[in-house]
Amino acid sequence: MSKELKNIKDSVMNQIHGGEVKMKPKIYFIIGSILTFIGLISTVIFSTFLVGLIKFSLRTHGPMGQYRFDEIISNFPWWTTILAIFGLIIGIWLIRRYDFSYKKNPLIIIFVFIITIIIGGLIIDTFGLNERLIQRGPMKTMMGNYNKGNNIQNNQGLKFKIYQNNF
Amino acid sequence: MTEYEELTDEEIIKKVRTSNQDFYAVIIDRYQKKLIRYINNLIKNEEKTTDIVQETFIKAYVNLNSFNIEKKFSSWIYRIAHNLAINLAKKYQKEIPLSEDWDFKSNDDIEKDFEEKETIEKVEKCLKEIPIIYSEPLSLYYIDEKSYKEIGDILKIPDGTVAIRISRAKKIMQKICQKN
Repeated sequence: MSKELKNIKDSVMNQIHGGEVKMKPKIYFIIGSILTFIGLISTVIFSTFLVGLIKFSLRTHGPMGQYRFDEIISNFPWWTTILAIFGLIIGIWLIRRYDFSYKKNPLIIIFVFIITIIIGGLIIDTFGLNERLIQRGPMKTMMGNYNKGNNIQNNQGLKFKIYQNNF
Repeated sequence: MTEYEELTDEEIIKKVRTSNQDFYAVIIDRYQKKLIRYINNLIKNEEKTTDIVQETFIKAYVNLNSFNIEKKFSSWIYRIAHNLAINLAKKYQKEIPLSEDWDFKSNDDIEKDFEEKETIEKVEKCLKEIPIIYSEPLSLYYIDEKSYKEIGDILKIPDGTVAIRISRAKKIMQKICQKN
């Protein structure tokens, strides 16, 4: 074992001296932390908004039993679901990759992360924040295209109409 | 480098980061035996243990600038070793049987650090037979002499959970050791 110990020390120190192993500069970690933070916040905001958008799209089809169900299936913006899942995967990857969940079980953090997004999305939808956002900025174009593509009239949703009138 | 033996790990790390990378050898001297024993308790494979310990020191060196000097270096390096061992154990689950026996060689000097050699050997033997979730905190507490807080930092679990696991581990171990 003593020989092995010496081998470990020699091998590591030789690699350090030979330049095969280099210390990453501090700036690398600073930038990494900033990007992780921005990425995680963006993922939460984006995914939360998408959850709200999914709920909104479900509502715009109206209560018509089987027809409603078929309509939902055929017109549902599945890309939003894929994006939401993708966002969640990125967020979870960031949590695990940078291991900053000090003394907390990563599974609990991931669970809280998902629940936060879903609850956040539902709250945003309930208070109509997504509909306000839809009236402005890049989301206006995006939702316009979605509604146009699915023949959804803006006045189909009462809530949407109220907000539309307000703007 | 003898004059630096009085320095704490964190002070040495500061020197490695700022002035002389040769001081990293002091860190290796301080931790390699401990890490070999710790990793071997986890994966029970001598050859792979050596690889993991070497990889631990390399990974720690590469990421040394991410270490927060205000925190305990030992918890940080044990955490790296833990992650590498667990990843390897998952990867080669079939190749690294958890029940495989492996003992230190008789002429080895690794055990001389311990006052109660026989007890520790018995403890290590029993440790191999209990689930890793319990054996790991128990070995860190009794063999590596880590505090609940340090174990919590290494395993990323609250101190209370550490206490519960150690308590359960002792009960399980008592049964197993009595059988043996």
